[in-house]
Amino acid sequence: MIKKILIVDDSPVARRMLKSSIPPNKGYEIYEADDGYEGIRKYQEVQPDMTFMDLTMPNLDGYSAIAEIRKLSQDAVIVVMTADIQRKSISRVIELGAFLVLKKPPRTKIVEDVLAKVEDLLKSRSGEKQ
Amino acid sequence: MKIESCPAFSQEEKEILQEIMNIAFGNATADLAEVIDIYVELNTPSIQLLGIGDLPDYLINRMNLHTENSIVAQNFWGDFKGSGILVLPNRSGRSLIAILDDAELNDFEVKPIAGQEKEVLMEVGNILIGACVGKVCELLNTFVTYTPPQVIHHNSDEYSAFVMSFDPAQTAIIMETVFRFQKIDINGLLLIITNQEAIEWLQKALHNFMEPYE
Repeated sequence: MIKKILIVDDSPVARRMLKSSIPPNKGYEIYEADDGYEGIRKYQEVQPDMTFMDLTMPNLDGYSAIAEIRKLSQDAVIVVMTADIQRKSISRVIELGAFLVLKKPPRTKIVEDVLAKVEDLLKSRSGEKQ
Repeated sequence: MKIESCPAFSQEEKEILQEIMNIAFGNATADLAEVIDIYVELNTPSIQLLGIGDLPDYLINRMNLHTENSIVAQNFWGDFKGSGILVLPNRSGRSLIAILDDAELNDFEVKPIAGQEKEVLMEVGNILIGACVGKVCELLNTFVTYTPPQVIHHNSDEYSAFVMSFDPAQTAIIMETVFRFQKIDINGLLLIITNQEAIEWLQKALHNFMEPYE
């Protein structure tokens, strides 16, 4: 089950748009970070069930943050939410271990579908462990 | 995040505009990558407001990134009205031709190199400016009409005429993105300049854009 969601994006508007696209009635705890460094720090502190990650950010970009987070936890579920939809960018983040890539701006239906896919992934993992 | 002094817009409006520009430029680079095999590294865009009288100095300062530059300029008009300006170092045209050799523009081989460079710059400018402005318009629910792109060399009479074409009494909103063509190691600058006439419309459009997310 998804309980904690971390959103890493330097744009407060992008974070707001994504938060409002996440169903409010599911009781998710949402945490935010505004660059890659803060994202890694928050990831360690919160241990979220999934992370939405932007790519183009100051200080530390999303590529480096994904790599670092995946070093911390191979099970980290990272969904990239980006305006950079070049094929090379998408294949690079998938190679780094991102679970899905979403194109900005977020749409409620698409975000709901992503949450459902992450739920399925987490369920299948917990099934494997049992 | 880099947002310069921009008193006509609230902090929230600037941040919305910056995110829209970010989405639009991301879209434009993906369009370019569909046409030519090139990967563009993106930076966070910045938004600022400037008296148009200060625009020539601003452009000169920004273009000092390189010693000699080429500019591709394209005007657009509608609710959202202004100019798209792509600034690239002079030699980038030749580097882009090398990449385009495998693309569809085969007629370059029979044209002089200067003509080829101009066409390549025009094509790249047209794609980046058109896709960027087009995406801004799509997100803000409007449309614009474009003039054909023109290539202007820095330190030319054309350049002087181009900067003088802006009304000095107007205010420019500058949406700026610095980027890098990875394969050919060239940095560039994309500016979308719109004027005071568009500010009121733009403010309303920004609020409408955010409405579904309230």
